[in-house]
Amino acid sequence: MRARLPQSARFLPWLVSALLLWTGSMAASQTLSVQPLRVIGSLPATDWEAYRFRFVEDNGRVVDTANGQISHSEGQGYGLLLALAAADRRSFEQIWNFTFTELLIRDDGLAAWKWDPNGKPRVTDRNNATDGDILIAYALAKAGSAWQEPRYTKAAQNLARAIGKSTFARSGRSLVLLPGAQGFGSGERPDGPVVNLSYWVFEAFPVLAALAPEYEWDRVWRDGVLLLQQATSGRIRLPADWISLENGLQPKPADGFPPEFGYNSLRIPLYLLRAGMTDLEWLRALKQRWSAESEGVAVVNVVTGQVRERLNDRGYGILPAALACALEGTPVPAPLRAFEPGHYYPSTLHLLAKSLLGEKYPQCV
Amino acid sequence: MRLVGSAITIAVLILGFAAIAQQTGPGGTRTPAETPPPPTPGSPPAAGSQPQVDESALRYFASQGDTRRVNAEIARLRALYPNWTPPSDLSQLSAGAAAAPDPIVERLWNLYREDRIAEVRAAIAERQASDPNWKPPEELVTALETVEARRRLINASDTGQWRTVLSVATESPNLLTCMNVDVLWRVAEAFARTDQPTRTRDVYTYILTNCSNPGERLATLQKALTLLPEPQVADLLQFERKTGETPDDFGSIRDELARRRVERASLDSKTIASAEDLAVVERLIRNTNEAGPVLILGWYNFHHGNPARALELFKTAIDRNGGTKAAEGYAMSLRALNRLAEAEAFAYEWRERAPENMKIYLDVATALLSQDPPPRLEPQVVARIVPVVMAQRFSDGAQALGWYAYNTEQIRTARDWFRTALTWKADDEPSAYGLALSTQRLNERAAFNAVVAQWRNRSQRIADLADGVVPATARQPLAPRTLASTPVETAPTLVQPRSTPRPMAVERVEVEQPLPRTEQAVRRRQSEARSALGRSCAMTQNPNRLSGDSALTRGWCLMEINRPLEAVAAFDQAMATGSSRVREEAAYGKSLAYLRKNLTSQAAIAAAEAPQTRARQVELGASILTQRALAAYRDKRYVETLLALSERARLVPEQNDLLLIRGWSYYNLGQYADAEKVFRAVQRTGYSEEASAGLNAIREAVSPVN
Repeated sequence: MRARLPQSARFLPWLVSALLLWTGSMAASQTLSVQPLRVIGSLPATDWEAYRFRFVEDNGRVVDTANGQISHSEGQGYGLLLALAAADRRSFEQIWNFTFTELLIRDDGLAAWKWDPNGKPRVTDRNNATDGDILIAYALAKAGSAWQEPRYTKAAQNLARAIGKSTFARSGRSLVLLPGAQGFGSGERPDGPVVNLSYWVFEAFPVLAALAPEYEWDRVWRDGVLLLQQATSGRIRLPADWISLENGLQPKPADGFPPEFGYNSLRIPLYLLRAGMTDLEWLRALKQRWSAESEGVAVVNVVTGQVRERLNDRGYGILPAALACALEGTPVPAPLRAFEPGHYYPSTLHLLAKSLLGEKYPQCV
Repeated sequence: MRLVGSAITIAVLILGFAAIAQQTGPGGTRTPAETPPPPTPGSPPAAGSQPQVDESALRYFASQGDTRRVNAEIARLRALYPNWTPPSDLSQLSAGAAAAPDPIVERLWNLYREDRIAEVRAAIAERQASDPNWKPPEELVTALETVEARRRLINASDTGQWRTVLSVATESPNLLTCMNVDVLWRVAEAFARTDQPTRTRDVYTYILTNCSNPGERLATLQKALTLLPEPQVADLLQFERKTGETPDDFGSIRDELARRRVERASLDSKTIASAEDLAVVERLIRNTNEAGPVLILGWYNFHHGNPARALELFKTAIDRNGGTKAAEGYAMSLRALNRLAEAEAFAYEWRERAPENMKIYLDVATALLSQDPPPRLEPQVVARIVPVVMAQRFSDGAQALGWYAYNTEQIRTARDWFRTALTWKADDEPSAYGLALSTQRLNERAAFNAVVAQWRNRSQRIADLADGVVPATARQPLAPRTLASTPVETAPTLVQPRSTPRPMAVERVEVEQPLPRTEQAVRRRQSEARSALGRSCAMTQNPNRLSGDSALTRGWCLMEINRPLEAVAAFDQAMATGSSRVREEAAYGKSLAYLRKNLTSQAAIAAAEAPQTRARQVELGASILTQRALAAYRDKRYVETLLALSERARLVPEQNDLLLIRGWSYYNLGQYADAEKVFRAVQRTGYSEEASAGLNAIREAVSPVN
């Protein structure tokens, strides 16, 4: 399976870097590109205040309430992005201060991923998580230009370079994003390289490419899309959270992880919508599966199709609603429009979806 | 490593060492004028007499004319730094304060003092968002950056991110002052962890030259002890301040260095410790209740020809809960004093506590048995030695038991012990000699000829025996060749088939003889067989007519009288006709029978003929692989030897004799580094002549003696 790619123009490469894809199961071709978001000003202050009050401490720590009150680089990245969406410069600075002093301490310039208030030292796992790094860098880059703050832009650039240097890896003819700088490569696991498709925060790629153009962001983005299409071409049409690329173009669930479309992968459609990549055929199939008449949002075994857990929190419920809005213009049902903080993760997804709807689909809300 | 390189340059510049800066060469873009900007600009440049106190908030309040807060801050700083005196220029600052204090700035300083740094940052950002022209005070920004840098540096050092530590230190020279000795220590460690010990020493030198807190100065040397080579630590002692208000006392560091020197000398008889150093350790013994220094002095005396004093010291160490090490030293001292009976009794009590204690017990027991003339030993002494030697498969012990039996006219028992010793250590010439003597005495011509055939080219005395040069009938005034006098061979070359030692009568006391692991089950079966059939199985008969159970019993019976090939036929019949339990037993028996004939492949096949319990699988597997390894070794197929050993090591731990085979295999394959590792590992379990021989051989092979 090969992608035929038109030569991109020299300027605005991301807007026109259209991509024609054929997959085995798809006869139709698609044109995909990232439609940039403004982010700032897309989230109502009341929603953000409720989130901040529940999840952000005075020292700028975003707390994962369902996970032993720990913090992680992903949470800090989401916190930054949502503070920017709410145009809350104060909180953005606060969250950044914690992120900078507590997590951005690795020799390679990436963020340590796990911070536990009861740990000693409190960084209890110094490994990075590449999605956290991308989210932090992306939020910093967007904030740097929105608020004309060179400190943020510089930090975003340093992080973007570190990501390009340490987490891009060749896999056969592809260039993929490793979930961490250590432990996932082809030489580091028998079934390596292992990747996680939900670590491709698609909207961030063109932004970070502009800051660290010496790395092949375009190609990693493209190969991520191809990989997603391959991983969703099977009978169940859902990717596993953790995928082994040991067999190159035939992705399979990675060893040691449940073969599940789980909490990680739930984010993939949200990221696709946020990046404006709505033409991807898989989104239609997913909308069908997630519809109320069908099984809804759930953790699903990608081999058997069996549902392990249905997810009823509004933060998950808004995902199919956002899909229906983006694909068919269906208004978001009223109960899903109101935000009430629950656990950290669904609350975060809820606000990310709300900020997208607020900016791009105001007619649905 | 651009980052670290520049970090060195700048850190060195910061530390103000002109001489060292020269070594780092060009690249330092900053000038020495940027050396530690003291937080108190008015204070004399020769810092050190006074702790460097963060006066930025104080100065701000003074500049705002806020006397109440100035006084509160002075009180706070005095509480933190008792020796600190407020700067004299505060009144000038307040005199210049014309504008009314900015309430927001005041709030920021208050947050800063409460260490709520993120909130200070947030408030600045918020203020700037509403008033783009507003700027926070310069001192506040510097103070924030310094605190943030310190946090990052500490977090990075806590998680071993040493390059981050160095780059933060480079970017924040403000941090590198006596006020932050902890930061300086962390930078010093970062240099050490990135292989720049000279820079580590420079940082410590900076602290000892400039910083005045005596506790921190002593702690600096304690850090140095963990990170620097001892001569460099000794060098740092020159900075001890003997005068002044708070003189240093680096005595504990000197003691530690002396203790370490004696410790090194205590393990090496060629190194002599100085009288001063020995006196330090004596003093440490007097002044503490620790066993540590007692043990050091004990080993020093042991290895420097004074076992009597060592014995006293090890006794003291045992009383101070010195544990297995103390017991080992005590037993070794008794042995060195030739008080072997006492040594054996003492070491026996400790033998299970640690491998070293087992080693010394076996050593002492062997020495006890090997005395010339043969001692008259209490029956219970021999009775307790035997099971330990068997369980540990200690070939020198088996050899010593052989000589002991031989010299007490128990020739059959002696013969079996020599066989056992050879099974465990194939190249043991003294055991082969003992076996030759015993078989000759017993007039077992075939057995005698077999030994001679195998050994006559390698042992003159065995050849002489065969040629009748020495009569073997007379009682041999044997000086049994113990471990220490075993001739060093470059490589063991022969492995003898395993044999079954028989019970040894000692002073007419029947000693129950545990058998090698694989044979234990046989021995159990033997008693059953005996009761069932007596010796009737010795009569040749066709097993095909027997039922499964009877065939099984006959198989075990034949094993007992050592006719393994006939036993195989009986076990086959049992397998053909018996129940599943009988089939399992029979497959097991058949494997053992083949093992006894050294028919390893057949044994492996038989083991697979019926499902076995996990324990038996391991037992058979290990035995089969042992024999396979030894056979391969005998045929000089060293790669196969190593393969078999590795497979075996997955089932059961590799004992020393097989480790030696492994070592020699590596040696013969020219893999000297691997061989050396193995021999060293063996040596670490206790002194081993064979391992030393291996190490010598490697040394010769690697750098041939001129």
